[in-house]
Amino acid sequence: MTRRYLGGTLPVPHRVTEDLGPADAPLEGVRDLRHSVQIRHVDAGSCNGCEIELANAFAPVYDAERYGVRLVASPRHADALVVSGPVTHNMAGPLARTYEAMPEPRRVVALGDCARDCGVFAGGYGVAGSVSDALPVDLVVPGCPPHPRDIVAALRRLSDR
Amino acid sequence: MSWLVASLVVGVVAVLAGATLGRARVPAVVALLWVEAALAAGAAGRVLASGHPLVGATTALIPFGGAVIDLTALGALVVLVTVVVTLAATLYWLGYAHHSMSSRSATSATALFVGAMLAVPAAGSTATFLLAWELMALGSLVLVAHDHARSPSARAAALWYAASTQGGAAAILLALVLLGAHAPSSTFAALSVAATHLSGATRALVFLLALAGFASKAGAVPLHVWLPRAHAEAPGPASALMSGAMVNLGIYGVALVGLRLLGGGPAWWWLVVVALGVVSALYGALYAATTTDLKRLLAYSTSDNMGLVLIALGLAGLAHAHHHPALAALALVSALTLLVNHALFKGLLFLTAGSVVDATGTRDLDRLGGLARATPVTAALFLVGAGAVMALPPLNGFIGEWLLFQSLAHAASAAPALVVAAVVAGVAALALTGGLSVVAFVKAAGIGLLGRARSPEAGAAREVSRPMRLGPGLLAALCVVVGVVPGVVLPTIERAGAGVVPGATPLRGGVGLTLAHLNGAIDPVLIASALAVALAIAVALVRGRAPRASRAAEPWGSGRLIQTPRMQYSATAFAEPLGRVFDDVLRPESDLEVTPARESRYYVERVRYATRADDVVERVAYRPLRAALTWWGERARALANGSVHRYLAYGLVTLVVVLVVLA
Repeated sequence: MTRRYLGGTLPVPHRVTEDLGPADAPLEGVRDLRHSVQIRHVDAGSCNGCEIELANAFAPVYDAERYGVRLVASPRHADALVVSGPVTHNMAGPLARTYEAMPEPRRVVALGDCARDCGVFAGGYGVAGSVSDALPVDLVVPGCPPHPRDIVAALRRLSDR
Repeated sequence: MSWLVASLVVGVVAVLAGATLGRARVPAVVALLWVEAALAAGAAGRVLASGHPLVGATTALIPFGGAVIDLTALGALVVLVTVVVTLAATLYWLGYAHHSMSSRSATSATALFVGAMLAVPAAGSTATFLLAWELMALGSLVLVAHDHARSPSARAAALWYAASTQGGAAAILLALVLLGAHAPSSTFAALSVAATHLSGATRALVFLLALAGFASKAGAVPLHVWLPRAHAEAPGPASALMSGAMVNLGIYGVALVGLRLLGGGPAWWWLVVVALGVVSALYGALYAATTTDLKRLLAYSTSDNMGLVLIALGLAGLAHAHHHPALAALALVSALTLLVNHALFKGLLFLTAGSVVDATGTRDLDRLGGLARATPVTAALFLVGAGAVMALPPLNGFIGEWLLFQSLAHAASAAPALVVAAVVAGVAALALTGGLSVVAFVKAAGIGLLGRARSPEAGAAREVSRPMRLGPGLLAALCVVVGVVPGVVLPTIERAGAGVVPGATPLRGGVGLTLAHLNGAIDPVLIASALAVALAIAVALVRGRAPRASRAAEPWGSGRLIQTPRMQYSATAFAEPLGRVFDDVLRPESDLEVTPARESRYYVERVRYATRADDVVERVAYRPLRAALTWWGERARALANGSVHRYLAYGLVTLVVVLVVLA
């Protein structure tokens, strides 16, 4: 399909949103979130690979919002905390404060291999540890970086949609 | 009579005791002042009860006609108000004097100040009145200059005050002398008779001179410039006495000269008074809303409230000139009610502000905060005063403003076009100042008392001593009582007003207030009960809901590690939008100074921003005047070069000129 544009033509694609199939089994006890999950994301020392994929997970193709998951700008509004990267010394404090600022009940998602076990940064001089060393982690999304499809699948286990 | 004389004698003893006694001088003087106040209150009570003025004279004591006492019902009311404020302020002083204001000069000056304030309304002749008036100025001046050794701003305030009060006294002296030029004696009774024979122009000149002198004492704009400085610099008890009691005497003076001595006069005089009141109310409220200095805020609010009193007084004069006795009486009662209420809540506010300054060492709202927790009693008392000044029921400020609204509303239906214009201006001013004073006091209470301490000094604040809570506590209790049961003071106020303007007030007292023949009624008890019930329901609704689990966490600052209390909402920020709206009036001066880093001008090392909104009347009118006076003084130096021959020549020339003129 083409349309006229400034005297020429440009291709206009059909909608490209992926069909992601049925959801995995929900995480235990997420009924209290009532199928609506607000997410605060903290980059605790990531290389930004996970950030790009997280952005893609919320972009039109994978569109996590259709499953009741939304990014918010303050931990005060958040149900779940998504942490990417190994926890560096400089970000350990702000991460703890962010978690402290969240209302209960709250969930923590470790996004990517670095968040899970420090990945390639393990043993680095600036690294304090993995996310599970700092916070109680409820859900891990492996991958370096994880595919947006996997990110959406993990978040759907929180929203149960 | 004997009670009043005894009161004055005790006053003299108190002044001497303050100047001579050792360490026990403050308690001794306070005890003497209480006796003095009680005696004066007794005399005033008898005048109000009987309705007959207290008159007496002696040829001794004062030159030019001797000392004359003539305490009318209006004067008696002013004496009673002064007595109440004095009781609270001196009680407070007992605690305050442990740190400050306990020197011989300050103790003696306080006694002098109080004694003179009790004597001014009792004075019955020009010489007596001016003597008392000047002693009052002297006593308060010493108190304003109390911190002169430490604070340059106190020295400046004292100079401003001295110049203003002397200018005002000169105007009053001129007015009374003009009035008495052809009178057989200078007693007020003789003056009021002589006034009927004066030409209209002379009478107008007398009135305008007296108005200028007295309005400056009451803090009316544009003669108010001394007031925010002096009331802010005076120590706590002194500023409460000045703002609670002394400004009333300015209003008393206008009523004395305008209504009693000159017997009313044409309508335009009173239009001038209303205009002065409107300008003062708006200007005072605007500056109170934008300033960040707690005591300056209170002082500007005094200008605002005295403006409302002047509106009511002007309306009384207008109604009198247009022969509406009922309206004149109602307006006068509303003026006096506003005056009494202002004395109670402004005395309370200045005393609690004194406690705040005492506990924290600062008057800057941007450096206060957290006092509701640190000094709960003082904070609660301040809140009562703030509620009263905002005219919230069930506090006393509401009653006065309701009466003023009623007088204005009824004046609109009963008077010619010119008066209606004044009424419209009065209503508009009342509405706008009401809003502005809410802004001012929400700022004072919200920034000053709530939140976290914005400076280490405020963080170290501790509750003040017991006398310093009892003094303002007395006034706070009166604010509530008068607000709920205005019947306790209104009959007295009516009686005081009845002596000035003939005519029965349409007020019907008791528990509720009803205006006979006029459409207006109010029941403060009912309002108070309704508020109490509404509050109880609200509390029950909140308590009745299922409790939610909660957890204390620090305020969210985007993960920032260093969060300081200075990042809270500040008084400057609170007033900023209003300052922007009234930019053309306030004309703030702001100053932005950017220092670039040495390596590159694109990087900033330091930014300094300062903004100040000095009093615009002071900037526009008084600075050029001061510059001109300084210039004149510098020029006049050339006349005095130290040569004795020259000085003798001056003396000779002066003598010759005087002889030629007199011959």
